Amino acid sequence: MKVTVPAPKTPEAAPVEGRSRRRSASGHRGNFLAVGWAALARQVNVFGMLFLIAATWTIFGIAGSGFLGSFNMYSVGQIAARDAVLGMAQALLVVIARMNLGIGSIGAICASLLGYMMVDTSIPLPLQLLIVCVTAVLASLLMGWAELRTGLSSFIVTLAFLSIYGGGALLVTRGQSYTIMNSVINRLGSGTFLFGSICPLVPIAVICGVLLWFLYFRSSLGWKMLSVGANVRAARASGVNVSRVIMWSYGISGLLVAVAATMNCAYQLNVNAGVGADFLLPSFIAPVLGGVALVGGGVTVGGIMLAAVFYDSLQSGLTILNVPTYWTELAQGLVLLVAVVLNQLRMNRRGRSRRSAPTDATSVEKEEEVAVV
Amino acid sequence: MNRAMTRALRVQWVPLLVATVVAGVVLAFTTQHFSGSYNIFEILQTAAVDAIIGLSQMVVLAVGDMSLAVGGIGGFVTIVVGNLYQVHHWPVAFAIIGGLVAGSACGLFNGLIVAKTGLSAFIVTLATGTGFTGIAYGITSAFPYPDVSSFLINLSKGVGFFPYLALVALVVSFLIGAALHWLPFGRLLLAMGGNREAATLSGLSRQRSTIIAHTLSGCLAGVAGIMYIGVLGTATPATGTDWLVVSFAVPIIGGTALVGGEASAFGCLVAAVVLATINDALIVLNISTYAVEMAEGLLIFAAVLAGRLGQVVQRSDEGHREGLEVARSLEQGPDVGQSLGGATVK
Repeated sequence: MKVTVPAPKTPEAAPVEGRSRRRSASGHRGNFLAVGWAALARQVNVFGMLFLIAATWTIFGIAGSGFLGSFNMYSVGQIAARDAVLGMAQALLVVIARMNLGIGSIGAICASLLGYMMVDTSIPLPLQLLIVCVTAVLASLLMGWAELRTGLSSFIVTLAFLSIYGGGALLVTRGQSYTIMNSVINRLGSGTFLFGSICPLVPIAVICGVLLWFLYFRSSLGWKMLSVGANVRAARASGVNVSRVIMWSYGISGLLVAVAATMNCAYQLNVNAGVGADFLLPSFIAPVLGGVALVGGGVTVGGIMLAAVFYDSLQSGLTILNVPTYWTELAQGLVLLVAVVLNQLRMNRRGRSRRSAPTDATSVEKEEEVAVV
Repeated sequence: MNRAMTRALRVQWVPLLVATVVAGVVLAFTTQHFSGSYNIFEILQTAAVDAIIGLSQMVVLAVGDMSLAVGGIGGFVTIVVGNLYQVHHWPVAFAIIGGLVAGSACGLFNGLIVAKTGLSAFIVTLATGTGFTGIAYGITSAFPYPDVSSFLINLSKGVGFFPYLALVALVVSFLIGAALHWLPFGRLLLAMGGNREAATLSGLSRQRSTIIAHTLSGCLAGVAGIMYIGVLGTATPATGTDWLVVSFAVPIIGGTALVGGEASAFGCLVAAVVLATINDALIVLNISTYAVEMAEGLLIFAAVLAGRLGQVVQRSDEGHREGLEVARSLEQGPDVGQSLGGATVK
């Protein structure tokens, strides 16, 4: 089923409007250029991230020895893969104008469960992974259900579940740690893939990203998610079952958390219920840096993945430059702060210039036409 | 249903308080240690610090914002005070003032960014909170300052079962409650939280209210951090890392509206006592301390449901009264519409 919704008010929507204005101003040739320009402009976050990654790699490559070496690149890839998947898990809820603070706690449940099954049971690996995924999806769906039933904001619901799940995981495992001993899982986390410097987790993250891209840009469910995030009343009026879309978002988010937690287990040999403690910040940094607006309604999968690479390159670069690890937390906070402030300033400026631009009836009409297409 | 009871049920912490008191009495009779004066001292002391952490969040919630930086600022202030006292040998009073100024400055920083850029407070304070924790860890290289002034140590003692810190919490929450309800800036915060558009249209400044709320929150987070120095007997940068859920649980249980416009400092005190009692009961009953974390999350839901219950009771009561009035006006005759209008307005 195809639903038509008003153009979402997102960064992505802006270039579309720009395109139509250009078209009306400068004939056929301008049209061709404008389409190309719009395609570029729509990917501004992706190009911005690529530029930042290039800049960090150049600077750290010159200033720090071994940054571009295969060993370091391998470990950057390892962690960036996990952070990219975490970012996607968060993005699923950010897109529908919600947030998921329970990511870390669900991650803790997944890691402890996987560890427990590997150490104390003889369940075959595929079944173990299936159980972990189902558990995470159910845990996440429970949060969605609680949100819909109570009508509370997702922030407060997931905050409550953050402590319920986190405390529950600790309560059940009693803080015990498990050693991940499984040749397949271990090879995923510390084996190699292509050229000997890429961790097999990287292609897994890329596959997740591709699937997510298909979800958002080639499926009606993803289109509904975007429309719920852009304007929930318009979506409901167009016949979108908003509750179902919300539950789907929570469910898929949970599934991605399970993937990320499994990735974490793959390279961290000893796991316990503390695994998810550092999930929250990267899960927000990746989408926010990648250009997913917190108000919902827009997504850039490529931006999320590149942002994870940039963020983890920065972390690793600071370590290589011998910045004491105690300061890295400050660096994380600063990166996020600078990114959101710069992004906001850019949006403000764009908003202002758009308001001041003269709009005649025809261009407005065309804008709408293009937006609907 | 009589009015006093309805009014009591409307306050959402009342059912929880009743449940806690009943559970407390049962525990006092069934276990040995629960009603001991040392145990009550412990409960009140934990409650005192939790109440201040909750107040710090409450003032931001009052304007319809939130702050994830409460813990970060608390940890940072702890380190500032420890550093000024131990490394720079400032007198303890000046060190405390320095800490409070630092906390307020952190809050001001948050407020300025939120107000000037229009970004959501969530993402800004997530970033700055991490930053403040990072500074605390960076300055100390994760080592605590063990040298704590005797004043702060003595402050964490008490008379019998009553800790001095509880007195601090009482005074601070009274001041905050009074400021919110009687002082112009407090009314500004509540007005802005209650109806942003109406407040802006009446000429109140949204930026100003945001900045005031965050600054006050930073100062209160500092107070909580300083209280912790005495309780722990050391100034550690790890202070505040586990404040996130508590900071929200206390005001929510205490009846502060998440959407802003309503705040109850007294509710924070009660909620902190409820949380601390449950916390303590779980330990006295030998249930794992891990259960405490779980209980906090469940209590948030319990508080919200209790609030719903109160609303439903209130609504049915009002509906009942409205119905009576309508019936009476029907009996009286002609101007039904008018009395109906009156009833609905009421």
